[in-house]
Amino acid sequence: MTSQDLVILFAAGMLVTAYLMVGQKALFTTIRLYAVQSVLLGAVAIVMGVADHRPHLLAGAVLTIALKGVLIPWFLMRVIDRIGIHREIEPFLNVPSSLLICLGLTVVGYRVSTGLAEGARGPAHHVIGASLSMLLMGLFLMVTRRKAVTQILALLTVENAVFLVALGATSGMPLVVELGISFDVIVAVLVLGILVHRIVDRFESMDVSRLSKLKG
Amino acid sequence: MTLLLWTLAVPLATALLGVLPLRRGLKEANLVAGLAVTFALSIATAGRFLAGSTPAAFEEALRVDGLSALVLVLSAFVGLMSGAYSVGYLRRNEARGLVSPWRRREFDALVPLYVFAMLLVAVSNNLGILWIAVEVTTLLSVFLVAFHNRDTSLEAAWKFLVLGSLGLAFALLGTVLLFASGRGLLAEGMEGLNWTHLMAQAGRLHPFTLKLAVVFALVGYGTKAGLAPMHTWKPDAYREAPSPAGVLMAVGMLNGALYCLLRIHLIAKAALGPGFSGGLLLALGLLSVAVATPFILIQWNLKRLLAYSSIEHVGIMAVGLGLGAEAATFGALLHMTYHTLAKPLSFFSAGTLAQLHSSSDFDEIGSGTLGRTPVASVLFLLAAVMLTGSPPFGLFFSEMTILRAGFAGPHLGAIAFFLVCLVLLFCGFFYQAGRLVLGVPTSARSRTPDPERFDVGAATTLLAATLAVVSAFYLPQELLDLIHAAVGVVENGR
Repeated sequence: MTSQDLVILFAAGMLVTAYLMVGQKALFTTIRLYAVQSVLLGAVAIVMGVADHRPHLLAGAVLTIALKGVLIPWFLMRVIDRIGIHREIEPFLNVPSSLLICLGLTVVGYRVSTGLAEGARGPAHHVIGASLSMLLMGLFLMVTRRKAVTQILALLTVENAVFLVALGATSGMPLVVELGISFDVIVAVLVLGILVHRIVDRFESMDVSRLSKLKG
Repeated sequence: MTLLLWTLAVPLATALLGVLPLRRGLKEANLVAGLAVTFALSIATAGRFLAGSTPAAFEEALRVDGLSALVLVLSAFVGLMSGAYSVGYLRRNEARGLVSPWRRREFDALVPLYVFAMLLVAVSNNLGILWIAVEVTTLLSVFLVAFHNRDTSLEAAWKFLVLGSLGLAFALLGTVLLFASGRGLLAEGMEGLNWTHLMAQAGRLHPFTLKLAVVFALVGYGTKAGLAPMHTWKPDAYREAPSPAGVLMAVGMLNGALYCLLRIHLIAKAALGPGFSGGLLLALGLLSVAVATPFILIQWNLKRLLAYSSIEHVGIMAVGLGLGAEAATFGALLHMTYHTLAKPLSFFSAGTLAQLHSSSDFDEIGSGTLGRTPVASVLFLLAAVMLTGSPPFGLFFSEMTILRAGFAGPHLGAIAFFLVCLVLLFCGFFYQAGRLVLGVPTSARSRTPDPERFDVGAATTLLAATLAVVSAFYLPQELLDLIHAAVGVVENGR
């Protein structure tokens, strides 16, 4: 297998984890899927970094695996453990129709990717297509799920998709910027976690559809 | 260290000192003095720019041009006003047992950090740093919105964080795609994301990728600016945030987000012509003004009223920038300046009213506040006169400038619609403010408010009123020079 095949394989793997997240209701499994997705993102960066001799991609990859593959999932699992809620209740849309819609979103993602400078041909086409599909699926997850933690995971999936676009279309952002962004993502997850705690303390639930007092 | 770095370092140091468990008087002195020094340093930085140099640092990742200098000074001004008002505001809330010492320390660190992030937004030339700074303001706002820890505060904070993070993910994608559109043309390292660098290559960027980037970035930063239809977090967040923090969001974050929108718009303008992103800005601006109209008419809460007014004003600015004519750009940036000068008064007087009546809901306050809390009521009425764009105050002139430029251009229908909305908003805001302040007192329902006292909070509100009134008749020449320099950046792209 050439390095290009590996890149496409890992990117496709990320897309598969996104599909599995849509079909999954147990929160622990969803978090593990997110961890796998992040590790695959790191793997894409490593393969690209080694093949193109770009050491700064390797640094970014190590950071991604450590923070998004290990630290954030660990933190989110702790949050779930502490508040003792393990399953997503019936989503606004059932699983089979959700999966069908996501299939449509994948087609849209691939279609858009053909217009990009790098998307028209070559392996980058698949990477960008997969990442744009993931982006749309993350947005879809966000609007159809009710639990606060699932919404965080949807947001993080969108974030991963953006990083995959960056790898596919630009061969990586400048390292300083990537460091800053990763740091911000970590802090955002911490803040979200703190907020989930406070919400559960107050409402004795993390069902965000209960947050509906403010209108008009 | 250069002057520019000092300007950024002082608010950081103030935040660090704010965390220390000092006596209350010392903490207040630290907050106000730190922000005052920051304001002075910002003026000095802008002065350097006016004197002909271009302050920059870190391979031009930070760089002060006309637009940056204007936003820098306005942001530092709002920071100082907010810090000064928070002294009186927190004293009152502490006296009523609403703020614990721990919360107090949180607040004393959050406000200067927020000012730091706003200033960093204003001087970022690097689009990556710009994104990071905007994200920092978002995260800090979450704590400010959740400050009072009520059910509704948590709801507002959650909505704000989810919507804001999503918006920022879009903005990040926009930034990534912008970088991708220049693949092969841009430098490899940090400076590849510099705005000046992208502007130099604008003609050769890949058009489709760039269009996609502009749409995502405008939607993303538009969420932060509170442009409709991404505005839904705003009323909730403004209602729940303490008034001094509210003004940071209503002016500081708004100016910062508009600054980001402008930077993206300018790249698109140089590469694709003014129609594409200008049209988007015009559409989003018109939609914001249109959305604000009905909600102001049916509003039930004082601070939410201010939020919809803020959605209106960001819409007006977006329309002015979207029109593309030089006069309209000048009108929009003048509007930004006058809005910055007038907004603190509205937030401070509304905050004082809400504190005296222990609520910001119209039902709880009861109509006819003039008889019960005359000073705060009169000041709020004055703020209403300014915010609705009534003559002789500044926002009237900037709105007229935009309208005149609009009627001279090709978008007659859109501008006529815009004018109708402005008239309706004028009537709606006055209907609400008049009902609240001058209405017949419903004595049976409304509680007796706390008596008005002349304390620090009242003094800062009066100061804000004086500044807002004086600025209508006299703007310093240097400030006008900065506005003209900013217009020059928008028109010439450098």
